[in-house]
Amino acid sequence: MATINLENIKKIYPNGYEAVHDISLSIAEGEFMVLVGPSGCGKTTLLRMVAGLEDISHGSLKIGEKVVNEVSPKDRDIAMVFQNYALYPHMTVAENIGFALKLKKLPKEEIGNKVRAAAELLGLTEWLDRKPRELSGGQRQRVAMGRAIVREPSVLLMDEPLSNLDAKLRVKMRSEVLKIQRQLGVATMYVTHDQTEAMTMGDRVAVLNSGNLLQCDTPQNLYDYPIDQFVASFIGSPAINLYQAELTQGAKGLILAGELIDLPDSVLVSHPILESYASKQITVGIRPEDLSLADELETNAVGAVVEIVEALGSELIVHFTIKANSITVEGAIEEAETIMESKGAGVARIEPRAIVKAGDNVRLKPNSTAFHFFDSVTGIAIY
Amino acid sequence: MVATETKVTEATPTSKAASKKLRDRNQILLARLGWRFTTPSLLVVGLVTIFPISFSVILSLSNVTLSGNGFSLGGFTFNNFSILIHSSEWRYALAFTIFYTIVSVLVEVILGTMIALLMERLSGGRGPMMALLLLPWSIITVISAELWQYIFQGSYGVMQQIFSAVGLGKPVFLGSPTPAIISMMIADIWKTTPFVAVIVLAGLVMLPGDVFEAAAVDGCSGWVMFWKITFPLLRPTIAIAVLFRILQAFGIFDLPFVLTGGGPGTSTTSLAILGYKAMFQNLQFGPGSAVAVSATGLVLIGCLSFLKVFKSQVNSGE
Repeated sequence: MATINLENIKKIYPNGYEAVHDISLSIAEGEFMVLVGPSGCGKTTLLRMVAGLEDISHGSLKIGEKVVNEVSPKDRDIAMVFQNYALYPHMTVAENIGFALKLKKLPKEEIGNKVRAAAELLGLTEWLDRKPRELSGGQRQRVAMGRAIVREPSVLLMDEPLSNLDAKLRVKMRSEVLKIQRQLGVATMYVTHDQTEAMTMGDRVAVLNSGNLLQCDTPQNLYDYPIDQFVASFIGSPAINLYQAELTQGAKGLILAGELIDLPDSVLVSHPILESYASKQITVGIRPEDLSLADELETNAVGAVVEIVEALGSELIVHFTIKANSITVEGAIEEAETIMESKGAGVARIEPRAIVKAGDNVRLKPNSTAFHFFDSVTGIAIY
Repeated sequence: MVATETKVTEATPTSKAASKKLRDRNQILLARLGWRFTTPSLLVVGLVTIFPISFSVILSLSNVTLSGNGFSLGGFTFNNFSILIHSSEWRYALAFTIFYTIVSVLVEVILGTMIALLMERLSGGRGPMMALLLLPWSIITVISAELWQYIFQGSYGVMQQIFSAVGLGKPVFLGSPTPAIISMMIADIWKTTPFVAVIVLAGLVMLPGDVFEAAAVDGCSGWVMFWKITFPLLRPTIAIAVLFRILQAFGIFDLPFVLTGGGPGTSTTSLAILGYKAMFQNLQFGPGSAVAVSATGLVLIGCLSFLKVFKSQVNSGE
């Protein structure tokens, strides 16, 4: 077991392209660290640098107390689970799992025992004599896990290990992977582009974008205190609603979609810098669960037109538009998730038995104590 | 096909049986049309392949007598084959062909695989290198055999000049049995190693990269990587290359025909050369055909048993 320390790590390709900019990150013993970000954000490159499959252009990487920049992958005492599993097609499941031990020239009996123990843990015992091509995707994934854990590595690296599984199996494997990681108590770096996976699995989550580490914190802190618009948009599903708004004099209120919403004093206490934005344009972020239906005459609410209603049973996901400019952060939300791209679009999570349908004119009341504020130019959060 | 089928079933609101009947009729019509299209080419193939093969089998099993106005087929006999088995020339040609096939194919596969592994590491310029590499393969054997004959020539050949320049005397290359056999193998290896290299390279670039990365993390490198990962994954590709090469090498004719004429003596007489000599120089049609048939039969048995051995491995590589 060991810690992982990244200090000012950079990856610059021979053609001059800088894929990873100056990232520092440390992962404690036994910690489950998730690297998350949109595709091309450098998360996999970072993981591969830790594995030793990519050269580190700048900075230092420590596993335990040792700087391993120049150490070959096999001598780093790491194990890695690959996105496409990368099983050895010509070996049986048992041989796949025991391969690293065989290379270490461990006695046959010991290899057999360890392989059987790993297979038992992963429910692979009856498949030990099969070849990978005879297994299902989920079983292959388990073999890949088995191959990683059987060596009792000091560091476990996983590159989108669940992305090739179907949705149901993915949810199941999430908890299994987590359980195994807890049992091993090994420092783990886990790469994913799926923010739900990141939130549910990580002790801490590092959000990356365009080769930069934006924020690294516990899932709840990321959700509650995003450092900027990108993190705010990326974390949470459905994504946060971002609108252009204007603060009133003294920052006592907010003008959104032409309507005044009072800001209670507690907001100014928790966001002292907000005062300097008084009478200025800002970006306000409202999580979908912080919106509720209001009566027609209620103040501190905005008028909205309902566009789509998705009934999930436990709640209604209401897609609406208001008369304000909505702000979308590039790359933060997967295209497949954006249902509406029209101006002023937003999403609210409403209690399930509310009577709303597409085309309705409604009033939505935001929970003003739960607002997120961002600088409208830089996108940095204002606290 | 599928689209038309669904269209038919949808368009006609008849019972299932009726639509099945319609589908069957369609199939029969299509099959007939297929036969009509393929018949001309099948006839050509039959004319140039099936007829000669069957005719040599018939010849090899007949008493063939020559006369002033051609030859005539006598009764059925195994005599031609018994002549072969008792002939030291046939036994030597068989032994030589097998020996030549094994050695040259083995060397070609080893060299070809090594070249392919080197080529795979080239990041740029693989195209021009490939073109250069394929040059020997693209030269017609008769021409390259002539070239090698110049190189190995006994009085002005380049090879002899080189040997004498480094103080190794003036060895005879093509005029003495063992050197002639070695020279012939060198010429063949020079020409066909690129073929093996290209096939293996094609297999190599298709291999999944992450498997090698996983192996590197697991503790593989260098030779261990090659023997435990690269070679097993390449085995199906190599098997195909070997199969092609065995088929070609076992029937080798043009190279010895031009380079050594099967000599000196009969030292480089392959089965194909022996058959040719028997048929067209000595006009022994029966025994000559028997040589050809025996060679075909043997290479067939050889390839089938090779495939059988490798089949499991070919499958395991998938």
